[in-house]
Amino acid sequence: MNKKQRSIIFAAAGIILISLIIWGIFGFEIFTKTQVLVEEKDELFGMIRKVWIDKFIWGLDLSLVISGFTVVVGGILTFLFRTKKLKSN
Amino acid sequence: MNRLTQIFAILVFVSTISLAQGFKVKASGEKSFTFFDQYGKNQVTFFSRTPLEDITGTASAIKGGVKFDVSNFSTLSGKITIDVASMKTGIDMRDEHMRSAGWLDAEKYPEISFEIKSVSGISKSADNRLTGKVLGAYTMHGVTKDVAADFNVTYLDENEQTKMRAPGDLLGVRASFNVKLSDYGVSHMVIGNKVADEIEVSVNVIGYIQ
Repeated sequence: MNKKQRSIIFAAAGIILISLIIWGIFGFEIFTKTQVLVEEKDELFGMIRKVWIDKFIWGLDLSLVISGFTVVVGGILTFLFRTKKLKSN
Repeated sequence: MNRLTQIFAILVFVSTISLAQGFKVKASGEKSFTFFDQYGKNQVTFFSRTPLEDITGTASAIKGGVKFDVSNFSTLSGKITIDVASMKTGIDMRDEHMRSAGWLDAEKYPEISFEIKSVSGISKSADNRLTGKVLGAYTMHGVTKDVAADFNVTYLDENEQTKMRAPGDLLGVRASFNVKLSDYGVSHMVIGNKVADEIEVSVNVIGYIQ
């Protein structure tokens, strides 16, 4: 494995690791969400109602997509940057 | 009719009147309330367990209404409907799947409804608050079945606080019941994730006097 290939693999591993860390920071949700439910109390009747608010939650599905894309691109680049054998005369 | 029978008949009549459970509020007689909410506060929520992640959703386009005699809540009648298209779970792709022909089929069956048939087990927890069970015809995905729901209703006579919300008396309704998706011909697979057959439904609506 040459230096370029090693760099590509380390970069790919770094991207996958970062995406998993971000997933953890957002609470280890399975599915990515763009809205979440919060509770709101009705002062008149004491009812608790649920209200949607815009909030992005990074889910495992997004980490898996990014990881998959990284593996594919990293694999292609690793192949392209392989040490080519010199043709002997 | 002899005297003994007359006395018995009067006693039965009086006990029927006294046992009729209703609100003890300023309002009297028959009242009608609509659940159409121009303020966008009324909602029905549903909850389902899945192996991966539990799902909580809401439906907000609510229509319908009820009417009843204020002093005798067992006279309750009416219907509540929700638009299937207004149902959401926080993930757009999942919502689209839920409304599709393979699931609730919103195009063919645009509404889910609950039509009241009878009320039982009425109990007064306060002068203006009643609890009990309501039996109704629940229609979803073109199938109608009887479903019993626990309810809690609060009657508010018009006052300075209620006027800030809307004119007239207000009726707060909370109800809950479970439905089995398979009873209504609804499959319970959402993008490869099996949803529980039994869904918990909660109703939190305010009725506005008509």
